[in-house]
Amino acid sequence: MSTAAVQERVRKHVVPAGFECATAAAPLRIVGSGTWLDAGRPVHDAETLSVAGDDADDAIVEYVASDLTLTARAGATLASIARVTGAEGQWLALDPFGSAGGTLGATIATGSTGPLAHAFGTPRDNVLGLEAVTGTGEIVRAGGRVVKNVAGFDLTRLFTGAWGTLAVITEATVRLRARPERDETIALALPSGDALDAWLAKLRALPFSPLALELLNAALATALGLGDRPILLARLGGNDDSVREQLRVFSVLGEMHPAPHATWRSLAEIEPAGAAVARVSAPPSRLHALWARLANGGDSSLVHAAVERGIVRCIHSASVDDSAVSIAQWLERIAHTDGTHIFERLPAREWSRVPARVNDPLSRAVRGAFDPHRILNRGILGDVA
Amino acid sequence: MLARSSELATYSSDGLPGYRLRPRLAVFPTTKQQLIDVVRLLAREHCPFVARGAGTGLSAGALASGDAVVIGLNRLNRILRIDPANRLAVVEPGAVNVTLTRAAGAHGLHYAPDPSSQTACTIGGNVAENSGGPHCLKYGVTLNHVAALEVILASGEIVALGNADGEADGYDLLGAFIGSEGCFGIALEVTVKLTPNPQGVRTLLADFMSIDAGARATSAIIAAGILPAALEMMDGPTIRAVEASIYAAGYPADADAVLLIELDGLDAGLDADVRLVEKHCLAAGARTVRIAANEDERARLWQGRKKAFGAMGRIAPDLVVQDAVIPRTKLPEVLRAIAAIAARWQIQVCNVFHAGDGNLHPNIGYDSRNADESRRVGMAMRDIMRACIDAGGTITGEHGIGLDKLEYMPQIFSPESLAAQCALRDAFDPERRANPGKVVPVHSCREWRGA
Repeated sequence: MSTAAVQERVRKHVVPAGFECATAAAPLRIVGSGTWLDAGRPVHDAETLSVAGDDADDAIVEYVASDLTLTARAGATLASIARVTGAEGQWLALDPFGSAGGTLGATIATGSTGPLAHAFGTPRDNVLGLEAVTGTGEIVRAGGRVVKNVAGFDLTRLFTGAWGTLAVITEATVRLRARPERDETIALALPSGDALDAWLAKLRALPFSPLALELLNAALATALGLGDRPILLARLGGNDDSVREQLRVFSVLGEMHPAPHATWRSLAEIEPAGAAVARVSAPPSRLHALWARLANGGDSSLVHAAVERGIVRCIHSASVDDSAVSIAQWLERIAHTDGTHIFERLPAREWSRVPARVNDPLSRAVRGAFDPHRILNRGILGDVA
Repeated sequence: MLARSSELATYSSDGLPGYRLRPRLAVFPTTKQQLIDVVRLLAREHCPFVARGAGTGLSAGALASGDAVVIGLNRLNRILRIDPANRLAVVEPGAVNVTLTRAAGAHGLHYAPDPSSQTACTIGGNVAENSGGPHCLKYGVTLNHVAALEVILASGEIVALGNADGEADGYDLLGAFIGSEGCFGIALEVTVKLTPNPQGVRTLLADFMSIDAGARATSAIIAAGILPAALEMMDGPTIRAVEASIYAAGYPADADAVLLIELDGLDAGLDADVRLVEKHCLAAGARTVRIAANEDERARLWQGRKKAFGAMGRIAPDLVVQDAVIPRTKLPEVLRAIAAIAARWQIQVCNVFHAGDGNLHPNIGYDSRNADESRRVGMAMRDIMRACIDAGGTITGEHGIGLDKLEYMPQIFSPESLAAQCALRDAFDPERRANPGKVVPVHSCREWRGA
């Protein structure tokens, strides 16, 4: 959808000055390809505003391979970007959990990440510029198409991860990377019990940065066909000499097996529709404690963890195993695990237990500045009027 | 507290010549509580203020005029904690950049952003400017290395931005604050991420008989997908200024350009990348490619680069260090355009810059007492900015807008985009008392529809 068309849709919902008290503006639910719609709190009574285009090929606005930058419409899917950049030996190093049919706009708006964040950071580290339509219907451009830029106040970072509640992202410029010459995936058995803590410290002290380092609990390893014990899944990249040395270092750390590269895609798409998903994070030195509590809960939760970032991600699904503990108990265990809690998906009724993060005065002032009538994705972050 | 005219002279300028503004007062809190008390007192009096670190900024961003009070933060310079296990450090805003890196060195870590002024500039100033440096090509800028901030807003309210104890959630107000040039508040404490020192480092010097060839080599290396830790370029006038100074680094004095290229990481694999870089340099026309044989030689090559601005100081009484970014593929054509602009205005431009990022620093030495020369320098700067904007670039990559670049903001942002930036500032500081008049032209801050 063109930026002008998005602007027109938003403007229809802007309450004219002087009518603020009389009319409650109807909210808009911003939608990309619609594959991640169950993420975040429900948006009630909203009209759908789809930013996805009809023709995926038109979604790439500019791709200068030699500059390693790409500009695309928000509706461009990650899969289409991967196809176009892959032909040049490059990639957008963002691999959020969920379908590859997800859009660039949704990835940026939700700040979604995956295992590659270990090496390449999150959307905020990879977005160079944005075009967006604010809740007042203004078209705003932030950042630019160059890889380094400090001109003006940083609306790019502000809109990234704001879940569309400040502006509808219509276009983005992202930083690309060259694909590594070699890209290997290996699995290592995790040491058991208390030995894990020291082992994780060794992983964090490696003299190189793998592309990804994820712990998988036994249920998840089983679901991915990688045996029935908890494992470390590591993705190693670099030139031939470098990867050979990285493999040697890992072989010393434990029993090592090659794993299929497709495992990463399977991991991204492992959660069944309707599954509840939560993340608990802490400084990485505390990962062992988080893992001990959350990975072995005695139920069939699928659990994985980003070693370097100290994030444990828990997928609860009653459908995986009939003996699964109830959502309430699962939530209880997560809530009582010390750390930062972020909920991706929950049954609608459970959201009321979760405190919102954007109700502090500063966040409310920011929301008030960009979407004063709370038209955009109203309530998705738990914001209150 | 300083109030006498003679005492305030030091605080009337920063690293950029051509601007002198005298603050009403300058105060220097020595404790966090004093800083809080000062900001709250100013809030009660509705008095504007300007936070200042080491004053090494290059955009006239730390200058105060009229009623504004300078709050000097350079006495709040302690490193409060280093957490090597989680690679974090908590510092006061006035902590000096290189002091942190030295302290982290004991743990095999360093603080990655390394502006040329790192021996003087402060972490708080780096946060305000979102500072870069040569090694930001691989490791990212300040934005990518700050985990959390404790900030006092102009209202006196204290807020926590970001999260050092786990994932950040909610709006990225930390990201919005970094690079806000002192207009959103003052950092009381900064939690930064530390980076492991690389196992191996290779530093190369490639010299070229034309700037064009050096620029082509840069574009080729980037396009080949090699990510050096740093990829710096110096042109002939810079090389000769450095070689004539006490910072002489052994650059070939007859070359028209040198590339200083650093590769780091796991030892295994580094030499293969060195050979690739060498190949691309030679293919682009490098005369020689030399690899630093030891740490001394490496330090010497870097000293020439880091002290290039100082070396230029010998040539002319004043030096404008400019800052702009262009797409890396446009390096050859924009450098040619800059040479033509220099010839047109009969000035001498020295280019020393972060080529790998496309972050140009055209520097002009001149005598600010010579009105005609000052005028020509000003006109040349405008033309250079225009050339960079026309090439699809931006007006600053790491020095900030401050006062100096205000006039260019409407050239790269629409009125709506500028107004949106003002609206963000107003959320942090509705009275616009923190570093007033900087970053966004005042006339652009029309009443935002949402406000």
